[in-house]
Amino acid sequence: MASKGAKQSRSGSGVAGRKGTGDQEEEEQPLLQAVLIADSFNRRFFPISKDQPRALLPLGNVAMIDYTLEFLTSTGVQETFVFCCWMSNKIKEHLLKSKWCRPTSPNTVHIITSDLYRSLGDVLRDVDAKALVRSDFVLVYGDVVSNIDISQALQEHRHRRKIEKNISVMTMIFKESSPGHKSRCEEDDIIVAMDSKSQRVLHYQKTQGLKRLHFPMNIFHSGSDEFEIRYDLLDCHISICSPQVAELFTDNFDYQTRNDFVRGILVNEEILGNQIHMHVTKDGYGARVSNLLMYDAVSSDLVRRWVYPLTPEANFTDQKGQSCTHSRHNVYRGSGVSLGHGSQMEENLLIGCDTSIGANCHISNSVIGYNCTIGDNVILDRAYIWNNVHIASNVVISQSVVCDKAEVKEGVKLNKQCVLAYNVVIGPNISLPEGTVVSMHHPEEEEEDDDEFLSDDGEVGQSQDKTKQKAFNPAEVGAEGRGYIWKASSLDDTEEEELSQCLWGLVLNPDPDSDSEASEPDGSSFSSDPCAAVFSCAVFQIEVLGTLQRGLEENIGCDNLVLEINSLKYAYNINMKEVLQILTRVVLDFPFQQQGPQLTTPQYAALLLPLLKKWAGVFKNYVKRAQDHMDCLSAFEEYFLEQESHWGAMFKILMTMYQLEIVEEEIILRWFSQGATTDKGRQLRNNQGVRMRRQAEGHLWIEGHAGPA
Amino acid sequence: MEFQAVLMAAGGGSRMTDLTYNTPKAMLPVGNKPLMWYPLNLLERVGFEEVIVITTKEVQKMMSADPKIKQDVKMKLEVVCIQEDGDMGTADALRHIQPKIKTDILVVSCDLITDAALHEVVDLFRAHNATLAMLMSKAHEFTETVPGQKGKKKTAEQRDFVGVDESGKRLLFMANEADLEEGLSIRKSILRKHPRVHIKTGLVDAHLYCLKKSVVDFLTDNKSISSIRGELVPYLVRKQFSKTINGQKTKDDVEDQNQKKSDSKLHISSRDEPLLQLAQERSCWNDHRGDMSEAYHGGKLRCYVHIMDQGLCYRVNTLAAYIEANRLAPKLFEEPVVHPSAVTSERCQIGSDSIIGASCQVAEKTSIKRSTIGNSTTVKEKVKVTNSIIMHGVTIEEGCNIQGSVICSNAIIGRGADLKYCLVGNGQRIESIAVFQLKECVSVFVLN
Repeated sequence: MASKGAKQSRSGSGVAGRKGTGDQEEEEQPLLQAVLIADSFNRRFFPISKDQPRALLPLGNVAMIDYTLEFLTSTGVQETFVFCCWMSNKIKEHLLKSKWCRPTSPNTVHIITSDLYRSLGDVLRDVDAKALVRSDFVLVYGDVVSNIDISQALQEHRHRRKIEKNISVMTMIFKESSPGHKSRCEEDDIIVAMDSKSQRVLHYQKTQGLKRLHFPMNIFHSGSDEFEIRYDLLDCHISICSPQVAELFTDNFDYQTRNDFVRGILVNEEILGNQIHMHVTKDGYGARVSNLLMYDAVSSDLVRRWVYPLTPEANFTDQKGQSCTHSRHNVYRGSGVSLGHGSQMEENLLIGCDTSIGANCHISNSVIGYNCTIGDNVILDRAYIWNNVHIASNVVISQSVVCDKAEVKEGVKLNKQCVLAYNVVIGPNISLPEGTVVSMHHPEEEEEDDDEFLSDDGEVGQSQDKTKQKAFNPAEVGAEGRGYIWKASSLDDTEEEELSQCLWGLVLNPDPDSDSEASEPDGSSFSSDPCAAVFSCAVFQIEVLGTLQRGLEENIGCDNLVLEINSLKYAYNINMKEVLQILTRVVLDFPFQQQGPQLTTPQYAALLLPLLKKWAGVFKNYVKRAQDHMDCLSAFEEYFLEQESHWGAMFKILMTMYQLEIVEEEIILRWFSQGATTDKGRQLRNNQGVRMRRQAEGHLWIEGHAGPA
Repeated sequence: MEFQAVLMAAGGGSRMTDLTYNTPKAMLPVGNKPLMWYPLNLLERVGFEEVIVITTKEVQKMMSADPKIKQDVKMKLEVVCIQEDGDMGTADALRHIQPKIKTDILVVSCDLITDAALHEVVDLFRAHNATLAMLMSKAHEFTETVPGQKGKKKTAEQRDFVGVDESGKRLLFMANEADLEEGLSIRKSILRKHPRVHIKTGLVDAHLYCLKKSVVDFLTDNKSISSIRGELVPYLVRKQFSKTINGQKTKDDVEDQNQKKSDSKLHISSRDEPLLQLAQERSCWNDHRGDMSEAYHGGKLRCYVHIMDQGLCYRVNTLAAYIEANRLAPKLFEEPVVHPSAVTSERCQIGSDSIIGASCQVAEKTSIKRSTIGNSTTVKEKVKVTNSIIMHGVTIEEGCNIQGSVICSNAIIGRGADLKYCLVGNGQRIESIAVFQLKECVSVFVLN
């Protein structure tokens, strides 16, 4: 009924708003548009992306942006706007050469460049200003690798838009991927709360660094009775947006990222009435290469054919000389690859054209680019060697990236997560520690040309001249080495850079908090607050002290004191045992609280004994069962363990407590014979402390061991 | 013997207004059978031969007098009485009978009317070697007007949140909305193990639990827990993920005390027989996908829930539920509409959706529709009864019109009275030609 009404009003009012003419036709077959953002607006790939924009970095020997464009085209996008900022010339050049700009391409690519884009928000505001999109569009980044068929999601999205006009503004695409999966990006770890029936997103949060996830109550008031909290999702960074999204970005000029947008929509759902929905794919592949760990994960997934039909041998970019053959164990070889005697290509390996490999090499799980030369006895595992790289003999590389035209000399060992940026020379005979990044850019030049971020690549050449003046450190890069150790800390400290200190990103941690959180107390694992208990004990102690002080000043009777302490007990939710311990402690500490800590032992005892007599009634009220006696004594012991210098007074106090019938003789003996848990406790009992002896009359005597009794 | 059945029948029915003023909840007639007959029948149907009934002296007396329970129930009932005013919770009651418990137990509340397949719950318990398995059902909307309540009573806004895993079986958390004012907070490590949590609201707990014997033993060590639903179940559910079970930490005395406590918890969980454990280690079966860790992530304490999506499941603990249960009771069991010993005039109309109890007398020109008439009740001429529950021994004089009302035992309705949506208390007498429209008149009668 609602949809019918909407339809009628639509046809009644004719052409809706700003969409211009031809609306009616589009209703039947809207041209699917896409906005591709070929800039990451961050510096995660610095220093690599200093020489090449991220979208053009090779992944499986193909520039990343080509995967994104192929994904868009295969999913039915007919018009794509590519927005570039950083090094836009290079991207433009690349695209103009590619098959996307051939007249036969089913996907028309428009390249829009501007140096003024500083965030996704700027781009979308520009989309709105130029009125580029006419209907629902796909929003992706230039570093997304995916084979997801979004047509179903698109259909759902359109259906929702039809039924409830302008309510659902965005459909986010997620891939199912259980925690611990390799392609989950720890930085992009998200938790989503959704309405099970309508697939509506109710809560979206990045969980990185959080131990406890918090869901506000209002998300459960949406009228549904079934919700789902999903932690098994990987954000593909593909979203289907309505044109409204661009307008909303214009309206809210503080939205910078998609994250801002999503959170803004969800928080203001009640006010603006906009909703976000989601679509979860089980079998598609979609991931964003947001750091080098993801680069590693996506590359190996690609070689293992998870992104089928985007496989290395498919040569979907249709470039000459890029074809390769696929043989078993996922070994791909380009044309003109030569392999030396005794070399083994183990598995999951992609070798680009005209690369020659020497003798007795072991290569596995790696990608090697074009025109590389690799010497003898080289071991490569999870190595990503880009184009025109020279690797001499006896080199070991594991889980590292070697960029174009870099040179690795003899006997070099690259430990895990090393990066050799463009044109770097390393060696000979040096081992780079884990996580080393070597670049031709001196880290200090960073500050000088901070503005370079905005400018195009024209100035890069200049800065290279500058760097040549500084000497290379042979201890770092080897005797013949060329390059500087890139120190991540030199990165500027804008907000989003906080977590990007390391190029590789955070390592997937299997279960970081399972051990540290091991001893959660009895409280609920869902909403407990262990601090609260400790805190309330502390406050309770202060309150008891105050009560006793006032009791002393105003000469309040024991019964009334008990009443007051009991009411405090309830107020702070303290159990009986804690009351007893705290009470004992407060009383024993009382002379110090009154007179200051400089009291001598005899003074202390003289002050305390009358107090004990006075408050014996209070104690008697609480000390009833045998266990209470024990608790009282253990608090006593605990207190004196801290007050070593006043051990002399102990026997007197214990004696008084016994005489006042606060503690029973048998329990004292039991406590004494029970044995101490710590060395000091034993000392307390034996050497310095008290000795007990039962006399013939059956009286208990407690005698000072140290001093004369 | 795999399970011992325990029937909790000591509850007073505090939420049923004046209905339980004279009759304990367990003995309220539903379709002319005492309420506790239904869970007993449920147990009998699945083959239990013995049941431990925890109840009060009063109920015991009434039980021994009740013909239904005497004749129909063939199981051996072992009645354990607890003090009426002792303020004993259900967990206290379990602790009370602990010496009698030799195996795992199945605890049922006396107010459960369901046609659920019990084996579903028990199978979950068996299959996962669970510590707790329970039954839940979708909540029902009660549509009937409730006597004594004007308009539709707003259902309390405080919903129960139940979190289950992807399969919908593993119970991950339970919380009441009232305790969640500051929002729901979940540890990430739990989500890592169960990445997909379904949160359901609008479920009712049927108060049917399978519990390991060790839980009962644990109860004897932990005297602070007094109610199964209120404390024990939430505790067990939480304990699934707390690490104290595996943690070996000893610090100072306070910690020691904790340790003692956790030892008793340890007891709960470490009952896995070595053989079972070996089987689990050797088997390639796993309860989850994704990561490669062992089944159940090594957790030993597991709680499961079976959520009925079809069928009948009522907890008769409110007046509305009581009326609804009476309406549905005839459909549950195929029984003759009119009890053979009842005397009904030929010229009266009795709908097939009604029940006439034993030794009733129904006079001429009466019409009884959608109603339950209790034993030994006399209905005189020209009486119209619709949508009502008449308990035992009631006398309804001529010309009465009774609609949507509940009339408790031994009440006398005077000639020509017109009652609509009323609740008439035990042994009350309604004057002749009294007209009580609508629902206000409850307490007037009861308090007299």
